Amino acid sequence: MIRGVILVIIGAVAAPLLGGLIAGVDRRLTAWLQSRYGPPIWQPFFDVIKLFGKERLVVNGWQVFCAHVYITATMLSVVLFFLQSDLLLILFVQAFGAIFLVIGAFSTTSPYSQVGANRELIQILTYEPLIVLVFVGIYLVTGSFKISEILAQTKPLLVSLPLLYIVLCYALTIKLRKSPFDFSTSHHAHQELVKGFLTEYSGRYLALVEIGHWYEVVLILGLCSLFWATSWIGVLVLVGVTYLCEILIDNIMARMTWQWMLGYVWTMGLAMSFVNLIWLHGR
Amino acid sequence: MLNTLLFILILGPFIAAALCYFVRISHIRSFIVLAMGCLLAVTSILLFTKAPFSHTPPPLLNIPIHWWIIWGDDGLLLTMLYYGFKHRHLFTKILIIFQIVALDYFELFMVDHSKTFPLFFADNLSLIMVLIISIVGPLICVFAIPYMNKHEEHQGLKKSRQPKFFAFLVMIIGAMNGLVLSNNIIFMYVFFEVTTLGSFMLISHDRTETALKNAVRALWMNCLAGAAFIVAMILAYITQGTVDAQELIRGGHMGGIMLTPLALLCFAGMVKAAQIPFQSWLLGAMVAPTPTSALLHSSTMVKAGAYIALRFAPGYAGTFLSQSLAVCGAFTFLATSAMAVSQSNGKKVLAYSTIGNLGLIFACAGINTPEAITAGILLIIFHAFSKALLFLCVGDIEQHIGSRDIEVMRGLYAKMPRTTLIAILGMVTMMLPPFGVLLSKWMALEAASKHLFVMVLLAVGSALMVMYWARWAGILLSAPYGSHVEPERQGVLTRLPLLALVGGAVVLSLCAPLLYSNLVAPILSAPSFSVRAGIFENPTGAFLLYPVILVLALGFIYAVYAAKKAQKARTSGPYLCGAQTTDPESFEGPMRKPVAVSSGAYYFESIFGEQRLTVWFNVCGGMLVALLIGGAL
Repeated sequence: MIRGVILVIIGAVAAPLLGGLIAGVDRRLTAWLQSRYGPPIWQPFFDVIKLFGKERLVVNGWQVFCAHVYITATMLSVVLFFLQSDLLLILFVQAFGAIFLVIGAFSTTSPYSQVGANRELIQILTYEPLIVLVFVGIYLVTGSFKISEILAQTKPLLVSLPLLYIVLCYALTIKLRKSPFDFSTSHHAHQELVKGFLTEYSGRYLALVEIGHWYEVVLILGLCSLFWATSWIGVLVLVGVTYLCEILIDNIMARMTWQWMLGYVWTMGLAMSFVNLIWLHGR
Repeated sequence: MLNTLLFILILGPFIAAALCYFVRISHIRSFIVLAMGCLLAVTSILLFTKAPFSHTPPPLLNIPIHWWIIWGDDGLLLTMLYYGFKHRHLFTKILIIFQIVALDYFELFMVDHSKTFPLFFADNLSLIMVLIISIVGPLICVFAIPYMNKHEEHQGLKKSRQPKFFAFLVMIIGAMNGLVLSNNIIFMYVFFEVTTLGSFMLISHDRTETALKNAVRALWMNCLAGAAFIVAMILAYITQGTVDAQELIRGGHMGGIMLTPLALLCFAGMVKAAQIPFQSWLLGAMVAPTPTSALLHSSTMVKAGAYIALRFAPGYAGTFLSQSLAVCGAFTFLATSAMAVSQSNGKKVLAYSTIGNLGLIFACAGINTPEAITAGILLIIFHAFSKALLFLCVGDIEQHIGSRDIEVMRGLYAKMPRTTLIAILGMVTMMLPPFGVLLSKWMALEAASKHLFVMVLLAVGSALMVMYWARWAGILLSAPYGSHVEPERQGVLTRLPLLALVGGAVVLSLCAPLLYSNLVAPILSAPSFSVRAGIFENPTGAFLLYPVILVLALGFIYAVYAAKKAQKARTSGPYLCGAQTTDPESFEGPMRKPVAVSSGAYYFESIFGEQRLTVWFNVCGGMLVALLIGGAL
């Protein structure tokens, strides 16, 4: 029971702190890659605190509602993750938040927000089936969708699911909204649609969305860590290397179109999933 | 007591239908529909307390029941033949004449009527269906009362066609009750045919050229199902010497030739449930007035097909038939979800979504593990409420704004806030946790995870499904903020069914653990989940229903509170790159002229277009159906 409470607290409180820190490191490394000095590592927290102090300015009341629902659902999904719950359930709860964020973006009439919302839906459409297939792979190895069963494994999942790990990385790149998949909203000012579906979220509501995003980053990196959950060093190496690759990809790729993303990611992702799943079936 | 209950549930609607048809006074007709609705709902609950039972009713008016059935069936088929001749459709005529000849030969010269076995049989599966049919069905009929008045006002008819419309609407409810309660498959067949005739009459109701064309298409496709049903009965009788459904289910295990009748029954069910490649009849049914679509789609008719597959599922467990049924269903789920994404016609989105969800039920029947069957049965329950609700909402919206196009519904919240919110809640119950449809989908996914191909189809399909619901819900809210939104006026008979259905959809989701342990678990061969404190758990996975509901509900309440508080905040026009004029909905364009802002959603015509995909999907679907039947021969 006490262990459960501690896990809930880790999920609810420590996760966003970790997510913010990752965002700070990300900015710093990106700056280094671009030969800039970059902001301090704590900058994401300063940004969020400043956003909370801004005046409330609302374009459509539904956005306020949606921002709150979004952060609730993302927080719940991370808590469920730390409670070692069911993978598919975690994905669905996370989708609940993601969908409401899109509905909030749709609720304003700004064309930037509208286009961004449509594109975000395509991003969700692209990564969701792939994540489900990754989970199926995990199920075929461990015989369960429950994280508690995965942690009981003695051999790292990465050994039996190498291709599915790459598939998960595609989903991670889309979820982090890194180039070449950053077309619904972006961190880079040179794109044709910059803040996209977050255009109309402002002030404290944008701060909530930002914290929600940290939760999501922790969740998806947590999913990555499951692939080498047998040792702490393994987790750190795997997640660290993966995230470094993400930053590198973000900096060397240009934004592509959604048609390209849907075609490319589904073809590659489904093909790799199929191959990896058939290996498992063959055994 | 049981005789009375069965009489009310099955023959009651037929009597009410006759009254509706002959008593041509609109107030009395409304009263009959209301009274029958209440009576059916109460009776279905009373019947539920008698479960499970098998029963043979005494002769009606001193004539054995099977004679009534033979006469009724011949009358029915001759009526359909009349329409076949009237609309000069050769294929329909051939199919119906085949059915008449085959059925009469079968009934008069083959079947030994002295053999006794229970004519009616009810376990929890049948009774769940009876409850859905007798509660959702009447709600739709009640909604139809004001709807049809407006509909006819709009058409400007000289002579009202409502008596016939309500007669068939009500009759279908009785036929469906009969179908799900019958144990004798000849009875099942007759009620199956009544629903065919009923759907034909309802689709052709407006008598426009398209309506007639689509009605004839529905007729021939459903006659094909009927013909397959008869062949199945005859084969079953030749191989097993009985028309007792329970016997047939037990005999299916022997495999080989015993399986063919079951395969043909599944085929009949698939046509009835408009699975690909037979989806066109249900899509065509959209030309009919909305209550028709709601009744055909949600609670009845198409569910008859899914019911047949689930009913006979124990009979073909572990066979090739079962596997191919799973693939067929999952394929339909994917294909219809893809085509729904390309649709901006709201009713068509609903139609595709119905076919897709039925496909999921077929896939569950095909996977055929206790988990999958649980998922299938729960999906029937939850889908019925949410889908009926969405159809009625679209019907109401269409009568207000004169369009069923999603783009025209943009910002509907500003005009019809109540209906919009109910519709959005309906959509959320269709796609997101913790609501029942998603709970069943979760069960289905976990049950499918050993079937690689089925799983991929379901995974991609469900992502597409989320996409079109989310887009629609977002568009409904897309309104400029600031002005006070005035709730729309709505008649009692329109609002009551909407509220009842949305309440049902939400409350039933909360009661999912109860539904599972009291209704579904007793009919499974082995319990699929253990339910404790609202947590569904088995070795494969766990769904923390109540904890998730609790947290999301708290978040929801806080979100509502925050949104209320934000009403006091300063409002601003949408971001238009700084070129906004004084009117928030336009920007300063060339020559300093204001240009109105407009944006549309993506419908991906070039990728998921109906025109583009239908042919290929039909080819694939046709091959899969051939696989299903061929494999069972």
